[in-house]
Amino acid sequence: MIHFEHLSYTYPGAALPALQDISLMLPDGELILLIGASGSGKSTLLRCLNGLVPHFSGGALRGNVRVEGLDPVAATPRILSRHVGFVFQDPEAQFVTDRVEDEIAFALENAAMPPQEMRVRVEETLDLLDLTPLRDRPLKTLSGGERQRVAIAAALALRPSILVLDEPTSQLDPKSAEDVLNSLVRLNHDLGLTVILAEHRLERVLPFVDSVIYLPEDGRAPIYADPRTVMQRVELGPPLVQVGKALAWQPLPLTIKEGLRFSRGWLADHPSAAGVQHRRTEVDGATPFVEARGVQVRYGRQEVLRGVDLALHPGEIVVLMGRNGAGKTTLLRSLVGLVRPNAGTIRVGGTDIAGRDVADICRQVGYLPQDPNTLLFAESVREELFVTLRNHGVESGEWRLEIGDSEAPNLQSPLSTLLDRLGLADKADAYPRDLSVGERQRVALAAVTVTRPGALLLDEPTRGLDYGAKRGLEQLLVEWRDDGMAILVVTHDVELAAAIADRVVLMSQGEIIAEGAPAEVLGASPLFAPQIAKLFPETGWLTVDDVLGAS
Amino acid sequence: MDAGLTEQAGAKVAPEAETEFLQETRFHEPRTFHPLAWTAWIAAIVVILTLTRNPLYLALVIGLIALVLWRRAPVPAPDGHAVILSPLRFGLIVVTTAALFNVAMVHVGTTVLFALPAWIPLLGGPWTLEALVYGALNGVALAGLFAGFTVINRVLPVRSVLRLVPRAYYPVAVVMSIAVTFVPTTLAQIQQIREAQAVRGHRLRGVRSWLPLVIPLLEGGMERSLQLAEAMMARGFAGGSATTERWPQLAVLGGFVLIVAGWLLQLVWQQAAPGAALLVAGAVLLVGGLWRAGRSHPHTVYRPDRWQRWDWVIVAGALVAAGAYLLPLPGIDRGTIFYYPYPSLNWPGFDWRIGLATLGLAAPALW
Repeated sequence: MIHFEHLSYTYPGAALPALQDISLMLPDGELILLIGASGSGKSTLLRCLNGLVPHFSGGALRGNVRVEGLDPVAATPRILSRHVGFVFQDPEAQFVTDRVEDEIAFALENAAMPPQEMRVRVEETLDLLDLTPLRDRPLKTLSGGERQRVAIAAALALRPSILVLDEPTSQLDPKSAEDVLNSLVRLNHDLGLTVILAEHRLERVLPFVDSVIYLPEDGRAPIYADPRTVMQRVELGPPLVQVGKALAWQPLPLTIKEGLRFSRGWLADHPSAAGVQHRRTEVDGATPFVEARGVQVRYGRQEVLRGVDLALHPGEIVVLMGRNGAGKTTLLRSLVGLVRPNAGTIRVGGTDIAGRDVADICRQVGYLPQDPNTLLFAESVREELFVTLRNHGVESGEWRLEIGDSEAPNLQSPLSTLLDRLGLADKADAYPRDLSVGERQRVALAAVTVTRPGALLLDEPTRGLDYGAKRGLEQLLVEWRDDGMAILVVTHDVELAAAIADRVVLMSQGEIIAEGAPAEVLGASPLFAPQIAKLFPETGWLTVDDVLGAS
Repeated sequence: MDAGLTEQAGAKVAPEAETEFLQETRFHEPRTFHPLAWTAWIAAIVVILTLTRNPLYLALVIGLIALVLWRRAPVPAPDGHAVILSPLRFGLIVVTTAALFNVAMVHVGTTVLFALPAWIPLLGGPWTLEALVYGALNGVALAGLFAGFTVINRVLPVRSVLRLVPRAYYPVAVVMSIAVTFVPTTLAQIQQIREAQAVRGHRLRGVRSWLPLVIPLLEGGMERSLQLAEAMMARGFAGGSATTERWPQLAVLGGFVLIVAGWLLQLVWQQAAPGAALLVAGAVLLVGGLWRAGRSHPHTVYRPDRWQRWDWVIVAGALVAAGAYLLPLPGIDRGTIFYYPYPSLNWPGFDWRIGLATLGLAAPALW
């Protein structure tokens, strides 16, 4: 039993409270989903459960928290560790040892459990999460999903009755994320473990959860109810729920199976709707801005790319998909010269990039790496942009005026226009690392596109973004595309691909195995089909807008 | 210890045994000895290699190390980063450097190779074969030490070494184990940051251009440290315990002081008996203090390394070998240990009993 009573909490030095007057009563044995935009206080609320807030973070806490009758504030996280297991976002950042078994034993060693009992306990915990085959493996040889399962096992070693997870799948690819979520569902069903989960990928968890807590951003009271009721009342939701709400399907479907009952009937009532024409860029015959021909890359004896041909034309968005290790990122990196191919040619703007350095190539091709934090270091957002310009030696005309005169920026300058477009107009003086995940990513985007490159390459841009930030990114990319930029996105996010792609390229084992319009490539694949394609098979629809536009 | 463990694990997963067994054995070293046994072995090597400069004994010891290296610690499969300097290459470099340095600095000996004018500071004077040989012997001893530690590095996982850290210093051991895993992540991080900056047109020029690399690294490192600290707290790890008594720490400190004093008495002032008394007293204080402090820090160890019969053999071998060089045993010609090529090159002596005792170092290669 978890009980929050008028809980308010303010981080040290913060002007506004992160949590305001939260009262909730959560029963045992449920699988509870916690949703809300980034910055709504999800992580803070979860950390109140085991006393990390306020013991680790400091700050002022008012009100009452009771976890299994204990007060996490009075007791310490050390005591609470026996009742609440905690799993963090990034599996790597929470490992203390370098081997699976040792990692699981760590909490038991701290609790001074007798060695004989400890053997049994580790053995059981390994079985619980199907980790027995991996028991002796060094952690660094595991995949992301396996690592997160080890982290869950490590949190469960002390047999807590509550398992708390803070966005455990946001750094994982869809397959790994599914593994992790399936394990959670099993733990909840088989052991009656209370699972509290903060998560952005609603489509996968919604069917399994008993209840949902929605934390609004503006300090209003949280909504706590069964999934259908909450989904009805909040704006964010997976495509299936959005369509269900727009077409007033009752009760609101949460799984494709439930949705199909409505969609078949609806299609029969709207026979003219099917067969919507998709925007198709006419690129045949146009000169590609970035072109790879027969590109081969080997790491040692391992062939990562085996003769890849890819053309990227101005004014189109190409989405590159495929399993982990298919060579997607390597291809992206070779296009900007970070990896030099063993064979084949790469042309940017008509000229071969062999022999040109990365900095030089990147003036024509913007590249956004997976982790935007690696890019940011300057004192302010504006300064980040100037740094890139200075790096490229851009000093002429419009920009120079501004570099010399950064105290009084001209409102009509290209810099303000760029910031405006990225929704960062009022953040020009902010310290980049203090911004939210989505904002930080947009600053990084600004920093790589300030030279107005003809092409933009993005590596997994939706990782860790909430629905709002994701939609903002989609709009931005489409706008740039319409301005004539050539855009290549590597992603696992099928909904993103469905929303923005003009062309989808599928890779496997270093080769391109399929290429074509999104409806053809995505619609047919069981692994990559977006929810709408599953809901309305053979209509060619991929997004909520396709459906609503047709009706 | 492994035969027993794999058996147990195998029995538990019997149904899917085949694939699982393959995966299990892949990451399992075929035979491991107790870390304490390895510690005794490397200690004996350190003692012998620091004492003797007799080329015959040196060659014998290095040959035995090479044997153990070949039997117990084959070259690890290259996983990109693990390749450090091979002992052979290190040996060549160190022997050459030491020989050249010695021959250039020490102008003693009768076999003059050539002479530089005496007015040149340091280098001036006769360059002798004796100095060259003695320098090379020093280099050989150093190379032997390096080879010995290469064996330890390859056979002992970090966690086993950390388990040797006394219980009182458990938090220190945890911090060290984190550092060990932190280093590779940080290196990967540096690479990522370097690329991210190159992508926005950054080129490395001058000191100021390091800023874009250092700041994300520091901030990223800070963030990861905080996350890790949080994760450890959530799993019941408490850094320093508040209830620690004062006296065990003082005892440890006092023990150290006494040991150093006793050692000085023996070596510098040649006071054998009082020196030995101080050494013993210091050791007692040190061990007692550590033991007491350890008791106030409750924690247990998962799958502790088990002491086996062959561990005794390794320790016995190390003791015999080191004892032959250290102790003034009757019937042993200890003079053969100390070899000087000065004033003129001479054939080193060889006592077969010492040679035989040295073979004790081969114990880890026997199974």
